[in-house]
Amino acid sequence: MPPPVRRKTIVLVLVLGAVLALASVAHAGNGGFAPLTPHSPNARRINDSYVWISIFAGGIFVLVEGTLLWFVVRYRRRGRPRTVEGPQIHGATRLELIWTGIPVLILAAIASFVFYKLPGIQDVPAAKAEGGPLRIQVNAHQFYWQFTYPDGSISIDELHAPVNRTVRVDITSQDVDHSWWVPELGGKFDAIPGHRTHTWFKADQLGTYRGRCGEFCGVFHAEMKAVVDVQTRAEYTAWLSSAASDLGRSEWQGACAKCHGPQGEGGYGPKISNNALLTQAQGLEQLIRNGRNKMPPVARGWSDEQVRSLVAYLKQKVYKGTSSGG
Amino acid sequence: MAARATVERYRPDWRQGRVISWATTTDHKRIGILYIATSLVFFAAGGILALLMRAQLAQANEHFITRESYNELFTIHGTTMIFLVVVPIFAGFANYLVPLMIGARDVAFPRLNAMSYWLFLFGGITLYLSFFAKYGASRSGWYGYPPLSDSFFSPGNGQDLWILSLHLLSISSLVGAINFLATIHNMRAPGMSWMRIPLFVWSIEIYAALLVLVLPVLSVGLTLLLLDRQAGTHFFIPQNGGNAILYQHFFWFFGHPEVYIMILPAMGIISEVLPVFSRKPIFGYKAIAFSTVAIGFYSMLVWAHHMFSVGLPNFLNVFFMLSSMVIAVPTGVKIFNWLATTWRGNLIFDTAMLWALGFIAVFTVGGLSGIFLAAFPVDWQVTDTYYVVAHMHYVLFGGSVFGIFAGLYYWWPKIFGRMLGERLGKAHFWLVFLGFNLTFFPQHMLGLLGMPRRIFTYQEHGLFQAYNLLSTIGSGVMALGILLFVVNVIRTSRAGVRAVNDPWLADTLEWYTTSPPPPHNFETLPYITSARPVRDLRRRLAEAGRA
Repeated sequence: MPPPVRRKTIVLVLVLGAVLALASVAHAGNGGFAPLTPHSPNARRINDSYVWISIFAGGIFVLVEGTLLWFVVRYRRRGRPRTVEGPQIHGATRLELIWTGIPVLILAAIASFVFYKLPGIQDVPAAKAEGGPLRIQVNAHQFYWQFTYPDGSISIDELHAPVNRTVRVDITSQDVDHSWWVPELGGKFDAIPGHRTHTWFKADQLGTYRGRCGEFCGVFHAEMKAVVDVQTRAEYTAWLSSAASDLGRSEWQGACAKCHGPQGEGGYGPKISNNALLTQAQGLEQLIRNGRNKMPPVARGWSDEQVRSLVAYLKQKVYKGTSSGG
Repeated sequence: MAARATVERYRPDWRQGRVISWATTTDHKRIGILYIATSLVFFAAGGILALLMRAQLAQANEHFITRESYNELFTIHGTTMIFLVVVPIFAGFANYLVPLMIGARDVAFPRLNAMSYWLFLFGGITLYLSFFAKYGASRSGWYGYPPLSDSFFSPGNGQDLWILSLHLLSISSLVGAINFLATIHNMRAPGMSWMRIPLFVWSIEIYAALLVLVLPVLSVGLTLLLLDRQAGTHFFIPQNGGNAILYQHFFWFFGHPEVYIMILPAMGIISEVLPVFSRKPIFGYKAIAFSTVAIGFYSMLVWAHHMFSVGLPNFLNVFFMLSSMVIAVPTGVKIFNWLATTWRGNLIFDTAMLWALGFIAVFTVGGLSGIFLAAFPVDWQVTDTYYVVAHMHYVLFGGSVFGIFAGLYYWWPKIFGRMLGERLGKAHFWLVFLGFNLTFFPQHMLGLLGMPRRIFTYQEHGLFQAYNLLSTIGSGVMALGILLFVVNVIRTSRAGVRAVNDPWLADTLEWYTTSPPPPHNFETLPYITSARPVRDLRRRLAEAGRA
């Protein structure tokens, strides 16, 4: 049997090898060794802070684990009896002061850098040339995101924004705690009922950015996703003018279909495509505004206009008539 | 001297039976064993819940477990590991060891001690029976934030039973903590000054002090939540003018010190094991003792770093970032002092030592990822993702549980009079060490790739899925390692090598008595002149032999 130390070294080498192999594969696609590639100045400054901390953390990691391995190999037993003692050193005040002081300096360096970057992450730019930031309200519900634009247009789960334009989002919730998070456009800000938080972004590239709820909010937490659709200014304006006509559909998809199925055929929630309640505007409004049993109050805080759009859509597209068997 | 031999307690006939004697015991050693055994059973239960979660997450779009059950799993897994495993198992170690280490006959209040164990057991049973409540067990996370946990969004009684269980466990811990404090302050052997108590006892002193200081705050938060659910109040219900964030302050004012309640005793165990298996004294006894006190103190000033994304005022975020970073300093002191303890030693790699060295290796990773989380703009990206899951398991599994296993291998001979098998022990260590890193290291990457916590499934393939699969495989490897521990325990109880009083040539007073110790612990006690009384005795004996 080989001595235990050699076995330990072999296993450690194997582990290190596996980690390195994994690291190189992963690195090819920035596979999770840093936050996702940022596409907004605030997200970029967060990444800078991350990299800055990584430098020190990496150094300390190598120092501690290296020393540990070195001592384990260097001062191993080598057949000495248990009664053989090492030198009876009870401490060294100067040394201990040094390894108290150096971490303080490192932490000061980290904190200074983060505070230097902080205003650029936290403060919404004045964006004077554009007439101030574009303000969009984010209203979180179980289990969808509702966005309200300056002109009163509403969209669900899909936030539309013009490229290279500072957008301020004001976040709140209508029911439980959620958290607004689009990694490529910045960090998380909680949506808490009765409170208002805000963040901002300025997307530097056309395209869609995926976001998801960052605070556990109930059974469909995993499906509470958002997409930020960054468009040219012309596309954005065109979309705004068409938003109202699309409201019923997007409400159905965001607020109803996740549980009741895309055609109302049932899923986690019951089948509703043949439920006559869909045609009774008043009863339906009661239900969606207040919830019942497991159904959350999906329409809490909705305008009458919003309710009307959904009711019309349900009647037109979802309701298939009461089945004769029922 | 003769008087000491007759202190055996009178026990009526009806209390002599095998079961009844355990059920009615007030002996700190038996209560300690009950605590440790019960915690290990809950460890297995909580571990099975975790394995089910990992199975569900092994690949994309998996439907092995329903979304509702999954939410029960992570809620009860977290609650179990924190309230039914780590905190009580340290109460078990403290029960068994503190009186022995300070040369006392028992704890200060033996009957109160028994009560605190039974409250723990019934609190745990309450939690597990809540699976049978209307709508099942609590599914609002181990932290139970309202409004999600209020009666509108969490109907049924699972959440109420969760609160009841936590109340029982809190009273249990509170009573136990007061008992430990009274014992440590009043019952130390002649000569055992504060600078001569074992470092494990120091860690229990701070563990107990923190429990006394912060548990009442949790109880307040839980009671208000219960009133909201059952009595029509609305402390936390925003629709009726309540404040949902208030609960978060209550919870984390308890919740963060709780983290140190769970790690300090493990650090205490490491501070006992490392010097014995390095054949050296601990490097910087005072630095380690004072850093324990410092960590305990600062731990009560950092709670809102769990709330950076809530949108607190900037000056609060800055304060809690700096206070959280400050804690890294005394923690670093401990790590460097432990490393220095092994320097120029005669390192003996018995299983207990492997766990202690493994602790340093993985706890360091958990400490370093904590610095990223303390910097609040970075926290905004990684909070509530798998990055935090990884960080906190490096601290609570790589820290606390590695420490617990170090302690079990180290003190098993003292507690049961038999040595745990070394071969199985080493296999146990390596499998868990490997499986642990395989499970939790890729979770850092998952968090940075954008995987939030507490999602029951995901749609992403590729690297995202690969990391998840790796993590699930790792959890299986770990489970195999733990299984070897069970085999080891069974084999040891049947055919383990009998232990002498002091098989490791250790330093502290528990090794002065027999293995296992008699009901009254010690026949005689030496006068304590240092933090290493048993080594002092060995040297005196050796010198007398030479002379």
